[in-house]
Amino acid sequence: MEVDVAVIGSGPAGLTAAIHARGSGARSVVLLEREEELGGILKQCIHNGFGLEQFKQDYTGPEYAERLIRDLEETDVQCFLNTLVTDLSPDRVITALSPEHGAIEISAGSIVLGMGCRERARGSIGIPGTRPAGIFTAGVAQRFVNIDGYLPGRRIVILGSGDIGLIMARRLTLEGARVIGVYEIMGYPSGLKRNIVQCLDDFDIPLHLSHTATGITGKERVEGVTISKVDSDLRAVKGTEQLITCDTLLLSVGLIPENELSQQAGVEISAATKGPVSTETMATSVPGVYTCGNVATVFDIVDHVAQTGATAGASAARYVGGRLNGDVPHVDIVPGENVRLLFPHRYSFQGDLLLFIRAAEPVEKPVTVEVSPPGSRITRPYARPNEMLRVRIPGAKLAEVRHPLKVSIREK
Amino acid sequence: MTVQKSHFVCVVCPIGCEIDVVHEDSEILSMEGQKCDKSEEYVRQELLEPMRILTTTVRIRGARWPVIPVRTDGPVPKRLFPRLMRQLKRIELQAPVDMLDVVVSDIAGTDANIVATRSMPQER
Repeated sequence: MEVDVAVIGSGPAGLTAAIHARGSGARSVVLLEREEELGGILKQCIHNGFGLEQFKQDYTGPEYAERLIRDLEETDVQCFLNTLVTDLSPDRVITALSPEHGAIEISAGSIVLGMGCRERARGSIGIPGTRPAGIFTAGVAQRFVNIDGYLPGRRIVILGSGDIGLIMARRLTLEGARVIGVYEIMGYPSGLKRNIVQCLDDFDIPLHLSHTATGITGKERVEGVTISKVDSDLRAVKGTEQLITCDTLLLSVGLIPENELSQQAGVEISAATKGPVSTETMATSVPGVYTCGNVATVFDIVDHVAQTGATAGASAARYVGGRLNGDVPHVDIVPGENVRLLFPHRYSFQGDLLLFIRAAEPVEKPVTVEVSPPGSRITRPYARPNEMLRVRIPGAKLAEVRHPLKVSIREK
Repeated sequence: MTVQKSHFVCVVCPIGCEIDVVHEDSEILSMEGQKCDKSEEYVRQELLEPMRILTTTVRIRGARWPVIPVRTDGPVPKRLFPRLMRQLKRIELQAPVDMLDVVVSDIAGTDANIVATRSMPQER
C-alpha cells in the first residue's frame, strides 16, 4: 500500500505525530503499533502527574493516553495493531508483520519514528554474582503489577533512582511489599524531586546516594544483594560492603532510545543522545524520515515527548506536500560550559528553535542559558541534570547565523 | 503545646523549595526557604493533614486484562491509604468499564470517589 505518512509506534509521541500529520495536510496517515492496544508505555504508568503543562490537567498515564486516542479516533488515521515493523528502507518502504494482514509492505511519502526507548538492564551495568530469578527492570515490574496484576516479590531492593524506580517503590509498598531502600551511584538522585518526596519520603523509604550493587547472591531466586559505597570516581570502596537480604532486585538505571529500525533506514545516530541526529523540524539525516519522543532522545516528561511528536507529524506532512525540503543548509548546535546533552543537534532555518538542554552538574541557583551566536541569554531559576531545560530561540534571531550555535549554562 | 521545627520539600511546582518551618502544632510561626506564596498553603495542609491522590488497580472480570487502573477523584488523607487499599482489594469489577466511571463512591467517608482511569471493553 502507498500512504502519505506512516508513523511507527503509538505512544504519546506517535499518537500526537499521527494526529498532527493528518491535521497538517497529509491525505493518508497510518499508525503502526506492535502491541494489541494504542498508548504505548502510558498504559502501565497508572500514577498521576501527566499533562500538567500540555492540558493543564493532572492526568494518570492511561487517562492521558485515552485523551490522545479519542482525538485520534476523530480523524481517519488508519491504525494497524499487533503489527511489528521488521524492516525500514532508506527509500521509506516499511515491511511489517501482523496476524490479521500477514506480511505487509507500505511505501510512505514520509515516515515518523516513534518507537520510544528501552531500559538499561543488568548487562549494561555489569553487576557480578549469580543469575537467579527475581531481577527485573523497574518498567517490567511496573507492567507485572499494573497490567498483569501480580507482585514480582516481597522484599525489594531498588538500584538506581530513575523515576520509574521511584514510582515503583511507592507502588510496591502500597501493594504490601517491603521496599528496603533505593541505592543510587551518583551523589544526587536521577529522578524528579517531586517523585523523591511523594514516592520515597511519604512512605519512609530510604534513599542512599553514592552507593551501588557489587554482588547478587541466590541460586534459583535472588537471596540477597551486596551494596557498597562508592568514592568520587564512582568506584566501590573496599570494606563498605553490606549484604541485604531480599527476594527481588529492581533496576532503574537509565533508558536508551530504541533505534534498531532507524539504523536499518541508514539514519545517522548521535553518540551523545543515542538517537537520530535531528534538526528543529525533527528531520533525521535521511530525507523524509522524522523522529520524536524518546526514540529521539530520552525526555523527562510526557509534555515534551508530545511536543516533539506534534512537530514531527507536521514536518512529515509538509515534506509530502513539497513544502519542506529534505536537504537544506544547517548549522550544528554544540555543547559549551556545563552542558551534558542537547536536542536537537542541528538548526536548519525553518522557524523557531526549541532547545532541550541537560546540565552536566546541578546548579541550585539562578542560571543563564547562553546560545551564541546569536548571543541569546535566557534565565532559569536552577539547572539540574535530572530536569531538562527548555528554551525557545526565535527564528528571526537565527536567520543570519553561519557558525555552530554553542550552548552554555552559567551561574547568573 | 510545644514549638517544633519541621522540614518540607514543597511539591506545588517543579522547583521543589526546601522549607524550614517553626510551628506550634499546625500553626505556622515562621518559615523560610520558599520562593513564592503557594508554599505556605502547602505547608499548612501538610501540618494539618497531608492529602494525596491515590492511584492503584482493582480486579476486573470479562476484560482483556485482570486489573484496571483507578484513582481517587480528589486528594484524600495520606494516612488512610492502607485502609483504602484493603477495601479496594475486596472489589472485583465486571467489564465493560468506561474511563471516569465511579467504582466506589465516598470511599471510607473521605467524600472522594474511586474512578476508573481507562476504558476496558468486554472481551468476547
